[in-house]
Amino acid sequence: MSPAKKPSAACVTSDAGIRSFVESALAGFRLRFYPTASAFLKTPPRAGLAVIDNFLPDMSGRDLAVVLRAEQRTSGLLLVLTGTAAYSPAAAALCFENGADEYFHFPPDPRLFRARILNLLARGAGRSLPEEKPAERVFGTLKISPEARTVRVGTRHLKLTALEFDLLVYFLANEGRVVSRGVLLERVWKPGEAGPRSVDKRIEALRAKLGRSFSSKIKTVFGLGYIFRL
Amino acid sequence: MTRRPKVLVVDDEADYLQIAARIAAGAGCSVLTAATATEGVALAERELPDMILLDVGLPDISGFEAARRIRKVPALAAVPIIFFTVRSELDMVAEGLKLGAAGYVLKPFDPDELKRRIKSAVSRP
Repeated sequence: MSPAKKPSAACVTSDAGIRSFVESALAGFRLRFYPTASAFLKTPPRAGLAVIDNFLPDMSGRDLAVVLRAEQRTSGLLLVLTGTAAYSPAAAALCFENGADEYFHFPPDPRLFRARILNLLARGAGRSLPEEKPAERVFGTLKISPEARTVRVGTRHLKLTALEFDLLVYFLANEGRVVSRGVLLERVWKPGEAGPRSVDKRIEALRAKLGRSFSSKIKTVFGLGYIFRL
Repeated sequence: MTRRPKVLVVDDEADYLQIAARIAAGAGCSVLTAATATEGVALAERELPDMILLDVGLPDISGFEAARRIRKVPALAAVPIIFFTVRSELDMVAEGLKLGAAGYVLKPFDPDELKRRIKSAVSRP
């Protein structure tokens, strides 16, 4: 491999174990390490691949991915997030939903890690913008189509009002985060449309329509609001 | 008995203020709250908290400016500050982190993430 053709990658981690794993698994790469999100954001690369530890000292890798994706100059980076083996499948899925292109529990098999990174770089070279058409989201038997604005549980089509649909989509986008009634009113309701009690009523209606298997996914956090966990 | 770490939460949005305060209390901290930057800076000077959770988009002065004022108080020069915001602009986040923030958390909060960051910040030597 000639020096000019070496693939390059950034790695954001303060963990010595992850750093040495990446150095070894990606031997032959031009690697640049950043110990914190802060160091990375000072001069973020505009292209290429970044391996990001989800447990950074100053920010979660997941939040960093949101920031990098939201900014035009860094939106084309290939993002690889890493978590610990204790991370749940739902938490790993959230990394993808927040913009990750790849995710690994650490430590992965070094050969598999390298192969998937090389594959990602090869595909990334011909990377096109994401489809504008939002894809159907599937959670077990729950299927949500943002484009057609339809929701199914198994074969049953749910008759949601426009507001209930928007509410469900907002919950999905913020899975695992506490959302208060005030925030829901601000983000989902139209200005001045309703008061906090109306939020409770709509959520009860949404729970009832979702049925037994999914109604419990919208949990009430006493005195604060709601949290949606699949 | 060891003293509970004292955390100051500053946010003008009552819901987020309450959520962050509840999470900090759940992390074993005693909690002080303020709804404006001016009130937050004054409370910080008076109470010398062990860490501060500071919203960036405050109505009177920005959270960043409030952090600069807090850092000028000698006893608070190294107090850990975690910023939070609904906005995810790279420059804004970079500026917050440049101010020596102990963390940056996007709203709405992931309660486990915020709790972990609070615990880590108050246990720093």
